[in-house]
Amino acid sequence: MAGKKKEGKGALREKLAEVLGAEAVSDDPDLLASYAAGGELPALALRPREASQVVEAVRLANREGLNLVPVSSGPPHHHGGSRPLAGAVMLDLSGMDRIIRLDRRNKVAMIEPGVTFGRLQEAVDPLGLRVLKPLLPRWNKSVIASELEREPITIPKYHWDMNDPLLCTEVVFGSGEVFRTGSAAGPGTLEQQWAEGLAQKNPLGPGQSDLVRLVQGAQGTLGVVTWATVKLELKPRMRRLYFLRESDLGKLIDFSYRVLRPKQTDEHLIVDRWALACMLAETPEEAQSLASRQAPYTLIYALAGYDYFPEERVAYLEEDVGRAAQACGVRPERELPGVPLERVRRALDDPCPEPFWKQRVKGGWREIFFITTLDRVPGMQEVMGEALREHGYPHEEMATYIQPMQMGRNCHLEFDLFYDPGDAEAERKVDELCRAASERLAEAGAFFSRPYGLWAELAYSRCPDTVRALRMVKEMLDPAGVMNRGKLCFQEV
Amino acid sequence: MALQDYLRDMEGCSRCSSCKWVPFNQVKSWRFAKNCPSITRHNLHAYSGSGKMIMGLSMATGRSQLNETVAEIIYRCQLCGACDTACKVYRDDIDLMDVLLALRAYCVEQGELIPEHMMTIDALKREDNVFGEPKARRGDWAEGLDVKDVGKEKARVLFHAGCRYSYDGDLRETVRGAVRLLRSSGVDLGIAGANEACCGGRAYELGYQGESENFADDMVSRVRASGAEVLVTACSDCYAAFNYLYPRMGKELGVELYHITQYLEKLAGEGRLRLRERVPKLVTWHDPCHLGRKSEPFTGEWKGDKLLRPMSMKRTGKKGIYDAPRNVLRSIPGLELVEMERIKGYAWCCGAGGGVLEAFPEFAAWTAAERIEEALATGAEALVTSCPWCLRMFRDAVAEGGACLEVYDLTELALISAGERALAGGAAR
Amino acid sequence: MSVDEAYREFVELLGEENVSREPAVLDCYAWQPTFNDDPDRWVKRPVAVVLPSSTEEVQEVVRICNRHGLRFKSFSTGWGAWNGPTFDNVVQVDLRRMDRIVEIDAKNMYAVIEPYVNGAQLQAEAMKVGLNTHIIGAGPNCSPLASATSGWGVGHDSIYMSYSARNLLGVEWVLPDGELLRLGTLGSSGEWFNGDGPGPSLRGIMRGSCGALAGLGIFTRCALKLYNWPGPPEMEIDGIMLDAKMEVPENIGYYMCFFPDRSSFSDAMYKLGEAEIAYNALATSFGGYLDILTPRLFRKLEHTGALRSLITETFKFTLAVLLAGNSARELAYQEKVLHAIVREHGGLAMDVTKMEDFFSMLFMSFVRATIPALVFRMGGSFSTALDRNDSLDTQVTWREVIRKIKEGYIAKGQILDDLADNPYFVPYENNTWCHCEVVYQYDPRNPEHREALEPIFLDVTIAAIERCMEPLFTSDPRVRKLISPLAGNFGRYQQAISRGLDPNQAADNTLYSVEADFDFSGIDPERVKRLQGVVEQRRWQ
Repeated sequence: MAGKKKEGKGALREKLAEVLGAEAVSDDPDLLASYAAGGELPALALRPREASQVVEAVRLANREGLNLVPVSSGPPHHHGGSRPLAGAVMLDLSGMDRIIRLDRRNKVAMIEPGVTFGRLQEAVDPLGLRVLKPLLPRWNKSVIASELEREPITIPKYHWDMNDPLLCTEVVFGSGEVFRTGSAAGPGTLEQQWAEGLAQKNPLGPGQSDLVRLVQGAQGTLGVVTWATVKLELKPRMRRLYFLRESDLGKLIDFSYRVLRPKQTDEHLIVDRWALACMLAETPEEAQSLASRQAPYTLIYALAGYDYFPEERVAYLEEDVGRAAQACGVRPERELPGVPLERVRRALDDPCPEPFWKQRVKGGWREIFFITTLDRVPGMQEVMGEALREHGYPHEEMATYIQPMQMGRNCHLEFDLFYDPGDAEAERKVDELCRAASERLAEAGAFFSRPYGLWAELAYSRCPDTVRALRMVKEMLDPAGVMNRGKLCFQEV
Repeated sequence: MALQDYLRDMEGCSRCSSCKWVPFNQVKSWRFAKNCPSITRHNLHAYSGSGKMIMGLSMATGRSQLNETVAEIIYRCQLCGACDTACKVYRDDIDLMDVLLALRAYCVEQGELIPEHMMTIDALKREDNVFGEPKARRGDWAEGLDVKDVGKEKARVLFHAGCRYSYDGDLRETVRGAVRLLRSSGVDLGIAGANEACCGGRAYELGYQGESENFADDMVSRVRASGAEVLVTACSDCYAAFNYLYPRMGKELGVELYHITQYLEKLAGEGRLRLRERVPKLVTWHDPCHLGRKSEPFTGEWKGDKLLRPMSMKRTGKKGIYDAPRNVLRSIPGLELVEMERIKGYAWCCGAGGGVLEAFPEFAAWTAAERIEEALATGAEALVTSCPWCLRMFRDAVAEGGACLEVYDLTELALISAGERALAGGAAR
Repeated sequence: MSVDEAYREFVELLGEENVSREPAVLDCYAWQPTFNDDPDRWVKRPVAVVLPSSTEEVQEVVRICNRHGLRFKSFSTGWGAWNGPTFDNVVQVDLRRMDRIVEIDAKNMYAVIEPYVNGAQLQAEAMKVGLNTHIIGAGPNCSPLASATSGWGVGHDSIYMSYSARNLLGVEWVLPDGELLRLGTLGSSGEWFNGDGPGPSLRGIMRGSCGALAGLGIFTRCALKLYNWPGPPEMEIDGIMLDAKMEVPENIGYYMCFFPDRSSFSDAMYKLGEAEIAYNALATSFGGYLDILTPRLFRKLEHTGALRSLITETFKFTLAVLLAGNSARELAYQEKVLHAIVREHGGLAMDVTKMEDFFSMLFMSFVRATIPALVFRMGGSFSTALDRNDSLDTQVTWREVIRKIKEGYIAKGQILDDLADNPYFVPYENNTWCHCEVVYQYDPRNPEHREALEPIFLDVTIAAIERCMEPLFTSDPRVRKLISPLAGNFGRYQQAISRGLDPNQAADNTLYSVEADFDFSGIDPERVKRLQGVVEQRRWQ
């Protein structure tokens, strides 16, 4: 997909300013560097405040052959989904940060891309609602971005389908067409729909396609979401946290199957000592100390009571879940050694104050994450272990995080490898390890459903029929190839 | 009634496919969820109850013609009635079975005849039985039993053997045993012997309704002339003919009617039949179509819109004979009854009915083999039934397939428990 | 186009017994009276019917059609007019021979099935391992695969087991050119546990609120989510349905709840969803039960105003709730909460487990969704008015709107009198969003009734647009042409998808990508004007 003749940056800046307003266009070097995350620098950044500006930006990108990279969260960016190629134009939506509508009765929020987890949680708290979120999102992480990326939420029972908790969206496709998904699609304006009692809660359609599912996971290669409705849930009146501390991961997996099936637990995740330490520590020293005192694996789960007889709900669940624990040979505890419960609660409920919780060990880290099933986790660990041994990386310095998804039908499995960011050689080695391990894991059936960076090649080389269909989708939604070039399987460059 | 008379029934088909399945609340497994041998075997929708109705509608409205292919589809059907039962779970206004019978008659009228069926009708005309065996030998099965001939002396109970019991040598011991059992229970029993003739049920199902009426008239006059007060038959097909078909044709037998299983239940209840010997077997019971759903009494003809037909006039298969045989089995000491999945009104057919055994023996055998699989799945040692056609099919299927399953008529087990016969190594042949 | 040559190739591929061109046999696929507003009730006769038994055979059938300029249309059970051919040169692909449950992964709670597995079969097998499957309201005779990949998907278990489309994991899809597309993990590693990605989910082009109704190829296998079933592994039930007898299983509760008015009903439903206690929940009118249990009764009630009022007004807001506890304590909790919610909202909850006969009839009929099809009893057929589904409050409004429309037609004798208020009202996923359709019954053999179907369809379409909702039958080419511009021109994307996946346009895609105009010639001009007006009012682009 050849771009139009490249213009000088100055001329481009003027053109963009003319259409979007001067205040919306920036070439500030620090700002541009923040998007690059150590990689190639974009040429400019656009910072719209209104959806109409987004439409104009995309249409202009089509006319001018630009490479437009949408991003909604604040820096630092880590996964690489919004990492630009040289000369790209960033479309930074973090300034579109209105909470457009909150609906307690229907438990839904309509928000713009710049709304972060912290802000949204603060807004819905008085309504007795909670935001469904991944583990420790960074404080400036966009809720919409997280849900578009299909980051796994920590409460599996609310994860009915892979696109949860995202509901309806307004999206500007790469073609410049504006589209609304789900019951927001129309007929009617939003105001007319609200007058009729709609709350934009049906994520399906319109018609006989679910274009929102294409936009999710697309890393901004198909379009730009300008607002979305997201599902909220009741904040429990009562919540108790429990910990299963084990060296035998198999027992925790067995327990998970038993309690996830009947939807007994709220928060439910498994972390190893390092991941737990990262979650809870405030300094690297504390992380070391915490890790040394924890069991090899800890399963954290919550039992909750809502508006009606919350104590009774928790009480019977405690009994039922206790029986499941007994059957698996594990013992629920109410505390973690050396950790105030409040800190665990904050880790589950609040965004991460520093950008990434995984940086708490050594400062630098690489992740390998993919989807598998709980019963396949031990096998994946073996594969990972082999890779670690071959590359001389100490097993005990890797963190493991297992997040059951879709009510326990599959899970996000994550390996985090730490290094000192000041040590270039260590970084190189970890990168090498990640590549090698990812290849082996893919061979073993790891499903890189969020194919950032090197995973794209790994993932798409295995599913040629998917690639063929995705390229058809790309042709349909972004025929000029203006959206986030070089990502996924769209080799425009 | 002619095919055109069933236009409203045929037009009523919504194509829901319920006719292909056991009534859904009763489905217990993937394996044994289907109820219709025809479509289960042949798969094209045309083979289902719905499909045959739609073909009937297509022909009746001039969209297509009857030909050999279509006729074969119509006749590749045991007329087991399972589709009718399933349809009537949801519909009050469609008599699927009646449409199937009307289609048969239509085929005959139009000259689309099955050679094997023609042979059967010819046999009936010549020798008063479906096999074409000499009429004079019809009573030979009772040789040596010294049982009354109702043509010569009165008996309170007339025992009707039926064509298959009369001529199938392998099954002779069963029908002889039935007579011995009744007599040892003090029943004043007589038979028509060589004067007995076919009930005419098969002829009706083959589409030869006129012939069927002839046999019905013959049967009525013979029963009346016998002076008997009670008619007992060991053949389920005959029972259904007597209990349903004859009243539908306006023929009244004028006697109390029993199937052998009902009569044994009655005798046991009265203390006249003592089932005292242990029969330590795990058995499963096969409900013959003609004893079960097809034997439900005729409830009268409703002339108007069937949407307004009183429920009492809707035949659903519920009033077939299901409990009597089970009660007899349960009263046999040591016998344990385990049910198959497809039972009672939604039982799977043995394969013999509707002229299929005559015209499409491999399809009949396939149907029986399917039932044997189901019986084996219960873990039972033996399959028990009370119909000579079912018995024939299952014994042949076991022999063919080598299944480790005994096959009994209920009478045989009653004989053993009554001490009239020893428990041998099983009746699997 | 060469039908003869294609037919020869079908016979060679599948065997003579699995192919037919016999007109009477083909008419078994052309008789499609259900949800068919065409008074004729026949759809186009296919040029042949074929029955493949494997994915490879399906692919070859599709390729044969492509080679010879034929179209193809597949179905699983084939119930509903949308299953029938819409062009003259269509090969009907009957998937009956593909009927296996390939696997049930009890730990990871999914089943892999072929098209002709029905809901009853899947549920019976799932229950043996403590699991259950979502069964749509149309009944367990339907194919869960067809519903999930190609149809709609609502059921009265949706409060616990969602909507068919959202229960999909991996999918095996024969595209209209005969190529295979495997979604999610299936495409990468042959596993079934995830249907989305890598990256964008191709479930997005497969279906939306409705599926493509065979317009985008043939689905040969899929993995469907199963859900927890705390009940017994096998149901012991004597009798067929209305005469059923069964014991109350352990840890099962069943309640009929009655609410005094609309707002108390709505508020209580919201609370019920938030409490996360229900296993099945279906709100209908009490008249709806009488309708299916005593279908002739309403013909007798014509001049009995007081009795009609008693039934429709007193028992208007009726809710059946099935509770299924994983333990006795859980059931006790669920019951306590239900009673509290009902009481708080001025309602009454009656314990159905104590009504032996009613429970016996109702329990399995709900769990297996066998009861809704009794709606055929009254007249021999029915249709339904449903909108897009969104918040519960919108569905309560919808119920009222359609009731009023129905009253007009009932008064003129154009549909059967079922007291008009006959909703099938179910929340999805603990009331994340909600569904209501209002059933209307008619006798398909009555020409007056058949003639009324199109005007009713139009009125319902108008009502949906007025309420900012996409009507049920957006798959109808006329409705799609009307609605698409009001909803982002989704029709154009569907056409693009169709062109992209089906270069030869071999799939019978009328119900997916074709657009057509309404024929207003026989329609009352006021109605046409109202439709045109409401379309203009509801444009947002």
